[in-house]
Amino acid sequence: MPIDAANPVPPSFPRHVGMDQVPAHVPPELIRQSGLTIGPDFLANPHDFMAALHEKQPPIYYDVSPMGNMWHLIKHEDALFGLRHPDIFSNEGATPFPRDPDDYFYFIPIEIDPPHHRKYRNIVDPVFSPQGVLKLEEQIRQRANDLIDAIEAKVAAGETCEFTEDYGRPLPVSVFLDIMGLPQDMRDEFVDWAVQLLHSNDRAIMADSMRKITAYLKQAIEEKKANPDDGVVSRIAHSAPDGVPLSDKEIFGFVCFLFIGGLDTVFATLNNIWLYLAQHPDKLAEIHARPQDIDKIVEELLRRWSVTFSGRVLDKDYEMRGVQMKKGDRVTFILPACNFDPEVFPNPREVDFDRPRKTILAFTVGVHSCMGAHLARLEVKIALQEWLKRIPAFSVKPGTQIEYRPGGVIGPEHLPLVW
Amino acid sequence: MPQVTYVDHDGHETRVDVPLGENVMRGALYSGIEGIVGECGGGLSCATCHCYIDEDWIDTTGGPSSDAEAELLEQVATKLRPTSRLSCQIEITPALDGLVVHLPETQF
Repeated sequence: MPIDAANPVPPSFPRHVGMDQVPAHVPPELIRQSGLTIGPDFLANPHDFMAALHEKQPPIYYDVSPMGNMWHLIKHEDALFGLRHPDIFSNEGATPFPRDPDDYFYFIPIEIDPPHHRKYRNIVDPVFSPQGVLKLEEQIRQRANDLIDAIEAKVAAGETCEFTEDYGRPLPVSVFLDIMGLPQDMRDEFVDWAVQLLHSNDRAIMADSMRKITAYLKQAIEEKKANPDDGVVSRIAHSAPDGVPLSDKEIFGFVCFLFIGGLDTVFATLNNIWLYLAQHPDKLAEIHARPQDIDKIVEELLRRWSVTFSGRVLDKDYEMRGVQMKKGDRVTFILPACNFDPEVFPNPREVDFDRPRKTILAFTVGVHSCMGAHLARLEVKIALQEWLKRIPAFSVKPGTQIEYRPGGVIGPEHLPLVW
Repeated sequence: MPQVTYVDHDGHETRVDVPLGENVMRGALYSGIEGIVGECGGGLSCATCHCYIDEDWIDTTGGPSSDAEAELLEQVATKLRPTSRLSCQIEITPALDGLVVHLPETQF
């Protein structure tokens, strides 16, 4: 059903939760309670858990969970197909992020299916293209070095570097503020909002931070309307695809989505990679020895340490691999599992910088491929290069228990490092 | 502004202006030409902007511009030919004014 982005309404798809709400068309032999994102086996080692799905589960199974029942698809091939067929696997209503039903808005462009989707992407694609993000390179290097200055000062004063707070979190927030045209002095406040919204696991705190974010972004949009600049907020606020200016709801939904979409994923990715490198000095040495291969290295690290999933809703009845799915069923493509598909990436848990180039699913595929993918790649690359110049070797602080919390973006909660 | 002609699988031609410094993939996306998907946005990771350079233009565009492009061309969904390129890797220069590219039947 085509939606009107200027007049958003909350979706009315049924949500099924728990064993007593399994639809009748689901064959009992395909029902699982896999524990993805919530079970103790997952939380002990999420990426090993997702790699092992290929041994433990069928390629398509129906997962029953307190977070909602849905089909899980784990094959690389099936993800490429499904994510490239938005006419079958729709994004409308598939983003579970809660919003005020009385002031509802769509996250743009992720909740907009073709053909309307492209008009929004055309507004920002030049900024987020490989060439576009390169304009930010020097600025990102500076931000990274500023943070490392602070980390070195902290360590010199006898404190421990908490990677997640000292580098993983503030770096993407700083870059986000730069690209959006928002002031750097908002950094710590944005960090607090992001943490409360995405990591508090408390609905009252989440709602409160969402209110603060909304108020700030709405005011920032008004200011950019009055005083245009070359940042992305201004670009969106002043855009007029086919001569029609975007409505306030569209502008807000777009800006708000960029805030939510861009911060936690890079954060979690950096945390995963630094944890891995802290535990694998051999790989660290290899990265030092191969500076010319940094792009390949980043791509392989992104494959191995993908952090999130793609949710869709069936827009029609559809059969895959002999499994009959019905219109309205929810589907999750387990992207990290797809990146561990042994048919595509042999010996999948091995980090191998010389793998033949294949499509990785870190940024999903299809029309809703991550628009920030090139920015994210650049951030990871620069974060690594600048860090390794100044802190060439490091390890996890002895005695640390690495913990993961349930949630849709996967990375260690804390990562104290020593060197 | 340089013009690029996109010839779809059925032989239908569309000629569009593409700004200097842009690339052949983006020229298609901005103009709503459907034979190019370009889902990764030019990151050499998806192989969905495959095109065949017209024989008359292949000497001007040349072959793959990097090892990564050559490797990824192995992943395209339709037949790989000597004129195959990933259109995101062809930057528009004054020398490419008038370029003709042929689009495959499908990108995946």
